[in-house]
Amino acid sequence: MPEPVKPDWMQIVRHHLAGARSCRQEIVAELAAHLEEVYEESRASNICDPEAMRITLEQVDDWQALAMEIACAKSQEDSMDHQSMNQRTKSFWLPTIAVLFGVGLLLLFLDHAAIPQRLIWIACMGLLLGAAGSEANRMNLRTSSLWLPGFVSLTAASLLMFAEEIVLTHDPSFYFTDISLRPGHLISGLPRWFYIGWLLGQVLCGGMGAFLSRRGGGTPAARVVAGAFPALVMFLLCGLVIPVSALFEHNTTALSHPSRLALGILIWAAVPAGALLLGAAPFLRESTPQAA
Amino acid sequence: MTKRISSKIARGSGELAILSLLAEEPLYGFEIARQIGERTDGALQFTLASLYPLLYEMEKRGWVEGHWQNNHAGRDRRYYRLTTAGRKQLPPLRAQWRSFFQALDSLAGVSHA
Repeated sequence: MPEPVKPDWMQIVRHHLAGARSCRQEIVAELAAHLEEVYEESRASNICDPEAMRITLEQVDDWQALAMEIACAKSQEDSMDHQSMNQRTKSFWLPTIAVLFGVGLLLLFLDHAAIPQRLIWIACMGLLLGAAGSEANRMNLRTSSLWLPGFVSLTAASLLMFAEEIVLTHDPSFYFTDISLRPGHLISGLPRWFYIGWLLGQVLCGGMGAFLSRRGGGTPAARVVAGAFPALVMFLLCGLVIPVSALFEHNTTALSHPSRLALGILIWAAVPAGALLLGAAPFLRESTPQAA
Repeated sequence: MTKRISSKIARGSGELAILSLLAEEPLYGFEIARQIGERTDGALQFTLASLYPLLYEMEKRGWVEGHWQNNHAGRDRRYYRLTTAGRKQLPPLRAQWRSFFQALDSLAGVSHA
């Protein structure tokens, strides 16, 4: 007789605590681990699977009451956590990010030094991730399963583009995104290969986002969003930020060529979204429960 | 087997039970519940729902602190250990319970029941 599939206790706890303020990743993991041990102890005593499930789920007769009790026990601790940010975050991550961000803005304003600008933005992203890691034990479920994996995916996608621009063109003034304004370039030699290389890289970025989201306890929907996050950002940029800023700046060239914006969305959001989702696909299934 | 004590009474004694166990060694939630059950011959039993709010409350007060660590089966479990503040709580809590039993005994003769 085949062994019954082991229940995904993380999913069960998350489902029962859904919407509860206490639903932090760490708590979900701890409660799931407890249920898993109760279940496996029952199974080890030769209790059949349905009965073991019943015994395990009897550990909690009212999930809502439990969520409230945990929220109550954790509330003051949480507010203390918010007040007292990690010392390393306060003394290192935040000041460094602020200084780099300021320098990056200055260079952007002066409109030169393309390579330092890019390196600074990448460093800012890296430092933000470092700060997030430093505050990992304070994260709620949405941060650990959606925002952080999405940001990692976005950072990886940006890094890939910057690396291609700098390493492959040896031209600091070249912006890869320029090709969206000159569609003819896309089908010509060098830009085409850059684009194809970048798209292939997006498969990895999407996979990375979805994998981290699943590891952080994300639902399949959260994994899709985390994986496709770079494309969503580009969609907002091409579909909203650029048209709105063109409108405010009375940029008639941009406004009179909506087809270029549409092409930008296609090249930088729609097609990459496909590649990102391709990479995310293997991580949309539930993870296999840990073997005993 | 000892008769199981009602959950309300058991919960009241939970702090002392947990502090006493953790004074011996750091343990994770499931182990705490199991050892309480075993060492009281099943009289005191803690479920997930009764144990964790109590543990989190004690953690908030600074009596215990939790940290993730692999257990003997190689799985990540959150172990709790007693803090100095928690250790200081043990003698007064024991004294309180002793007074409580003496009071209840003189009132209801529970030691002869």
